[in-house]
Amino acid sequence: MGDTLFWSRLQFAFTITYHYLFPQLTMGLAWIIVYFKWRQLRTGQARFANATRFWARIFGINFAVGVVTGIPMEFQFGTNWAEFSKFSGNVIGQTLAMEGMFAFFLESAMIGAMIWGEKRLAPRTHFLAIFGVALGSWLSGYFILTTNAFMQHPVGYSLAQDGSLRLASLTAFLLNPWGLIVFLHNQCAALVTGSFVVTAVGALYILRKVHSDQASLFLKTGTLVGLFSCLMVAFPTGDRQAKLVAQYQPVTLAGMEGRFQSGPEANLDFIGEPDVMEKRIDNPIYFPGALSFLAFGHLNASVKGLDDFPEDEWPTNIDLLYYSFHIMAGLGTLFILLMGIANFQRWRGLLEQSRWLLWALMLAFPFPYIATTAGWMTAELGRQPWLVFHLFRTAQGFSDVVNGGDVLFTLIGFTGLYFVLGVLFLFLIGREIAHGPQEIAATGNSEVSYD
Amino acid sequence: MIEIWYVILSFTLVMFVVLEGFNIGAGMLRHVVGTTQAERRMVIEAIGPLWPWHEVWLVGFGGTLLLAFPNILAASFAGFYLALFLLLWSLLLRGVSLEVGGHLADPLWRAAWHFIFVASNLLLALLIGAALGNVLRGVPLNAGGEFALTLFTNFSPYGNVGILDWFTASVAVFMVVVLAAHGATGLVLKTEGPVHDRSLIIAKNLWNLTLALLVIITIESWWVRPELFSGMLHQPFGWLGVILVFSGIICALTGLLGAREHRAAIGSSLFIAGLLIAGAAGVFPVMLRSTLAPEDSLSAYQNAAEGHGLAVALVWWPISAVFSVVYFSFFSRQFAGKVRPANPQP
Repeated sequence: MGDTLFWSRLQFAFTITYHYLFPQLTMGLAWIIVYFKWRQLRTGQARFANATRFWARIFGINFAVGVVTGIPMEFQFGTNWAEFSKFSGNVIGQTLAMEGMFAFFLESAMIGAMIWGEKRLAPRTHFLAIFGVALGSWLSGYFILTTNAFMQHPVGYSLAQDGSLRLASLTAFLLNPWGLIVFLHNQCAALVTGSFVVTAVGALYILRKVHSDQASLFLKTGTLVGLFSCLMVAFPTGDRQAKLVAQYQPVTLAGMEGRFQSGPEANLDFIGEPDVMEKRIDNPIYFPGALSFLAFGHLNASVKGLDDFPEDEWPTNIDLLYYSFHIMAGLGTLFILLMGIANFQRWRGLLEQSRWLLWALMLAFPFPYIATTAGWMTAELGRQPWLVFHLFRTAQGFSDVVNGGDVLFTLIGFTGLYFVLGVLFLFLIGREIAHGPQEIAATGNSEVSYD
Repeated sequence: MIEIWYVILSFTLVMFVVLEGFNIGAGMLRHVVGTTQAERRMVIEAIGPLWPWHEVWLVGFGGTLLLAFPNILAASFAGFYLALFLLLWSLLLRGVSLEVGGHLADPLWRAAWHFIFVASNLLLALLIGAALGNVLRGVPLNAGGEFALTLFTNFSPYGNVGILDWFTASVAVFMVVVLAAHGATGLVLKTEGPVHDRSLIIAKNLWNLTLALLVIITIESWWVRPELFSGMLHQPFGWLGVILVFSGIICALTGLLGAREHRAAIGSSLFIAGLLIAGAAGVFPVMLRSTLAPEDSLSAYQNAAEGHGLAVALVWWPISAVFSVVYFSFFSRQFAGKVRPANPQP
């Protein structure tokens, strides 16, 4: 029970993974709601108002869970990672404070107006509130990804006399090339999650033969945004991300692909089984030279293997790193295929008659969550054993005054609380979806109710 | 520069306690000021849809502490480990019960969330009070600038202390009374009908109790930490705090007696702000006092992350705060005015 470092890592991993299930939907959905509201302003059609209202309610429940699970994240920097906070607080404190001061204040001032303001506010003001929430959620994402980018590829810092970090250049820190690419990659992934959820609800309504006008709107918007964002996740953002890893974290790239030996013409596995003990991949099915192409742009470029690096700098869990990378990349490819077919059928005017495709679209919505989680596991496992890459090890960063049993206790507490929260969330979302988009008259008496 | 950051940090804490304090106080009293479902709904509407904005000041406080005084954040958050998670979980349950409590019309559903809401608000007030009590009293910091607190030791505020002793427990109780008085005063301003009338009676009683407890807490603080008051008198902010405390409580009491509801609510806010400002000025520059050896106390001067980082943050921080207040005042106007009992609820 005495292993504070292990339990602290597990607690952070669990709470951040759980937390990020909610913002990834809100960040994607926000712009789809902005689009619906904008169309309502332009056309004056009630169908766009109904769609806005329906998705704003789903957004609101997601947002609330995102907020309550997000606040513990900031505090864990101090409670569980005190040595890391001492070491890098002056640098990462900038973006964490900015997130609160610029993004959360913006979102929290406008979220009430977005969800309950349709009748109280002028239509343009209501649009402004929705736009403000969308902007705030993306700003928040930017500040957090910049914080993470510093841990992956530290820039703009200097070392103080006491050995801790000081900010040397705010612009270098905020415009970290790693942060810009990862922001685009991650936000496109959030749009994938948002569009898959909108599409799935549309497909559900068509299959159940209810709310057919709204369902067509959801399917059309969802599949269009879906195809665009799936393509963007892969190219250019995913591609650029891979090149950054190859350039700045070659050891991570070797771990992601289970590449134990260096050499030219590096293969990219479609699937395989890493055997870290024997330092090889068992039973791989691979694309010859594809990793060289992905990382450096031509098929016979030399890609470093793990044998080029001291073993104490290898990612600490190569198996999980390998699988999460392949799950992310594999699912990302399937998403393009699925959205490609859906758009082709829609272009032919057959989407709403293709029952098999509607079933597939309805059941596909959990997979962007899985792909996004796997992507983040790739990034975070790939960074190990470092907390700040090549500057500070994870094993140096935890709070050594805290007892391992205390961390286990809070981890169990989070597990229980988050289980209840998850059940509650599914119940409330299920209720909203079963209820469906309503005409304004049906909800006319709930003007000031914060239900 | 360090003094400016100390002021900014104290400002975020004052904003949090004053704004969230109303929500917490009103939440605690929800059971007694509202007896029917519709009346209890009024309390939630009086808290209003902008409560997340109030809570963000806590996030602002955490971020600012990390940015400006990373060592203090590291020592205190790790040292108060379990207490802090209790605070976070109470915030979580409070937020959830506030958001989902009205989703179903079922009476059992509402009663269950009502109970969680009231209990978590009460716990929040106790925890905030205990935390402030701990900062006033000090913690068992060692020479390495670290400490780990148990919930209690022998209930003495000297030497090897725990989170709760007779001093911090009485500060916690004081905080419950103050926030309840603050919440009741806010409800007087924001509601009409039976909720308003009950809140008025409760507020008057609680302010009298606050006044009596203030005298006791002052004597206790002088006993536990005598240098607090000499520190207060040497700082202009200490004087400001003391003046705010007295003018605040006078405004609150005369406002309630004379049916000047705005004056009462402003006075209540000033009173809480004054307490925190006087306390922050009194302890300065010691941010965490050691109850074991005074020389192991953590001072703002030795623990600020001085340099370019704090200089640039001094540019963006005020800009962000102004932006924030602008959106807030714009949208809070849309939800201003009294909550009326006649409002039909589904």
